[in-house]
Amino acid sequence: MAEVAALVRMSGIGKRYGGVHACREIDFTLGAGEVHALLGENGAGKSTLMKILSGDVTDYDGRIELDGEPVTFAGPTDAQARGIAMIHQELDLVPGLSVADNIFLGRELRTPWRTVDRRRMEREARALLERSGVHLDPRRPVGELRVGEQQLVTIAKAISLDARVLIMDEPTSALTTTEVERLFVVIRELRRSGVGIVYISHRMEEIAQVADRATVLRNGQFVTSFDPRKLTTAEVVEAMVGRPVQTMFTTPETATGDELLRVENLAIKPRRPRPGRRDPDGISLSVRAGEIVGLAGLLGAGRTELLETLYGVAPGGARSGRIVLQGKEIQPRGPRHALSHGIGFVPEDRRASGLVLFHSILANTVVSSLPAYGRLGVIARRLERAASIRMADRLRLKFGRLQDDVGTLSGGNQQKVVFARMLLTEPKLLLLDEPTRGVDIGAKAEIYRLLGELAGQGIGVLLASSELPELVGVCDRVVVLRDGRDVASFSTADSGEGDLLAAAMGESAVFEEVGGPQ
Amino acid sequence: MTNAQDKPVAAERSVEVVGEPTAIAESSGGVVATLFRFQSVFGLLAVFVAAIIFSPRRDGAILFVSADNLANVVRAVSEIGIIAVGMTFVILIGGIDLSVGAVLGLAAVGSAVLMVESDWGLLPSVVLVLAVGLVFGALQGIATAMIGIQSFIVTLAGLQIARGLARIWSDGQGIAIAYGNGPHEAPDSFAILGERTFGGLVPIPVLIFAVVAVAAVMFLRVSAFSRHLYAVGGNEKAARLSGVPVVRVKVAVFAICGLLAALAGIVHAVQLNQGSPNDGQGYELDAIAAVVIGGTSLAGGRGSVAGTVAGALLLGVLNNILALNNIDSNIQLLIKGLVIVAAAALQRLRPTS
Repeated sequence: MAEVAALVRMSGIGKRYGGVHACREIDFTLGAGEVHALLGENGAGKSTLMKILSGDVTDYDGRIELDGEPVTFAGPTDAQARGIAMIHQELDLVPGLSVADNIFLGRELRTPWRTVDRRRMEREARALLERSGVHLDPRRPVGELRVGEQQLVTIAKAISLDARVLIMDEPTSALTTTEVERLFVVIRELRRSGVGIVYISHRMEEIAQVADRATVLRNGQFVTSFDPRKLTTAEVVEAMVGRPVQTMFTTPETATGDELLRVENLAIKPRRPRPGRRDPDGISLSVRAGEIVGLAGLLGAGRTELLETLYGVAPGGARSGRIVLQGKEIQPRGPRHALSHGIGFVPEDRRASGLVLFHSILANTVVSSLPAYGRLGVIARRLERAASIRMADRLRLKFGRLQDDVGTLSGGNQQKVVFARMLLTEPKLLLLDEPTRGVDIGAKAEIYRLLGELAGQGIGVLLASSELPELVGVCDRVVVLRDGRDVASFSTADSGEGDLLAAAMGESAVFEEVGGPQ
Repeated sequence: MTNAQDKPVAAERSVEVVGEPTAIAESSGGVVATLFRFQSVFGLLAVFVAAIIFSPRRDGAILFVSADNLANVVRAVSEIGIIAVGMTFVILIGGIDLSVGAVLGLAAVGSAVLMVESDWGLLPSVVLVLAVGLVFGALQGIATAMIGIQSFIVTLAGLQIARGLARIWSDGQGIAIAYGNGPHEAPDSFAILGERTFGGLVPIPVLIFAVVAVAAVMFLRVSAFSRHLYAVGGNEKAARLSGVPVVRVKVAVFAICGLLAALAGIVHAVQLNQGSPNDGQGYELDAIAAVVIGGTSLAGGRGSVAGTVAGALLLGVLNNILALNNIDSNIQLLIKGLVIVAAAALQRLRPTS
């Protein structure tokens, strides 16, 4: 670990929210041209520490030095003016504005007549995006983009600030392996030009690849600092969690039963084609009872669209092919219809489409299964509480009281609430879209354990994921999608991540457009 | 939100990060949270106390707290109150209903025309008028939920349509209601609604308001439908993906709001002994003000009918005490506006958990 001249030195940083210490006496340094990974479970204090550095949080203990000079920031704009930029985990983009408008938001380029210079903004946005290896039309509204594409836009935006310190809070959570590779190329380039980068991620293998140094926080305190190439994943996880964790990426082999779901040559001709959306274009696959089937594919391969079609929430269009559930053909008509047929769905973005964050854990848990707790439309509180607590115990939900807002829970526990809600509907088939995104490692392990348990009870699972280790470790079989078609199917017993990746990319090379305009 | 779960389980379930500091944070947060949660009730108390202090006195008696005056306060509040209960439902699902004042006018006209000009009996008249309100609301709900037009626009149009219908129905005239058994006289039983008091103290319109309010509070507390309603207001997409019948919820909520506006129109007709197509102008804004003062979020998913009732009473007490002191009506408007802003500002200070 070479000593680098400190660009940023934070010492004795403390921050309390009410009585809870989010950060306590943390020292943190970042050198110019250094990539410093910050690790820890959700709630360990990583985000708070970085919000302090980026001027988001201005009321804290301790001191910050920039180039050896003590500094205090009045707010994020002030910090940005001093060269500190942050890519937030929650993508702070304006959905109605175009990609270019978002990148230059608040510092729009002007013509000599002081009007907005659209053409120059679009040109520069395109160049910025291409530098991060993305081909996106800068005129497209951000709201139309998939989560991963939005993430790439925020990254481009942050790079455009020419910051000396760049903080990336889980920049890759929605990216596929190829895109992550491209991002790493950009990161290495920035590092060479002397930018200091703080890299927050839950993905251990990324940190080993890209970081020069890693610091682990736990419960708001510094635990250890190490060279990420020298420690094993198990050791790092142990430092984060504070106890040894058994191997995570395994679910017990379960005997699979009869065929539960069969999709035959499913294709949708959308009424109004939307750019960046990849509707099923001839997909066949099957899921047996007790089987966990993975859906692999690059961003824009059509995984989410397939799950949405099966759940009946995809935008309308002419459907061809067959969807057969337990031997009977069904026409998915919508969530109520799907749920009544025993199909449950855990959406990709739990904050936007999964939960009402400011409603209670209880209300969020029981909302799909309300008729079970009452008669004549009147709810028996005792029954819904009992059901809720039963699920919380089963999923090992960490919470204070059932009436607490679900938004107060960590990401992993929020996701467990979405699972609990679906399990209360007693599904036969679960459709999961990136169920462990933004979930800390402990909760991840518990979700995997749960999936194994569900399979053991004969529930079929269709799991779309961008994380190859997850697919290989958790699934019995993985179906690879490309351009809305199934292109390969692997048994995970005799194939690895490399096979999946190769199939997902197909002959279209690494720099092929992904999800771009057609 | 759907508040009040019982406490005992809470103690056993405190998992992880307990410790001293958290406990302190919770208790202090608890007090503050409670203050904010019942903000409108405390506001009402404050205004009530202020009203007593500033009330004019006659022979040493405080005029404001005289039985007659208090009855007047609640009587004046009852129409807006009934409308505001329906408005609370609509705002809870993240919508707005600008048509309620016009629907009130339509219902008042309808009551007068049916009973006076068409010589209908009390019951059929009331049932038909309520049905008109219900259907009118449901149609607005359908336009919002199924076609996807924003409720602000749908009900802005609804406002015009209801006013137009009221003018057509009454030939643009106010229709006075006389009572008796002869032709072109409304049944005496209708007058009872307006004149009689319950137990010699509570005017019948107030009783109707109270029944509506209590029913709404109970409904929001125990019904499965209310969970769906809050979920739709909190996050419509999440609600839909969870299997909540979003369209049905929206249509039902607008129908309820229309029904209650029609009920308020009947109460209005009987209190004024007339039905005029111009009745209820601007009532929608007073109802929205009551809902906002009551702490219901215009963004949807958060709020309560109890708060709205307190908000409506607060406005009523305020109006009354200003009138008792002969404050210029223009100044009254200023003060009302400031109170609304203050209530909304207080909500911004509410600690977010």
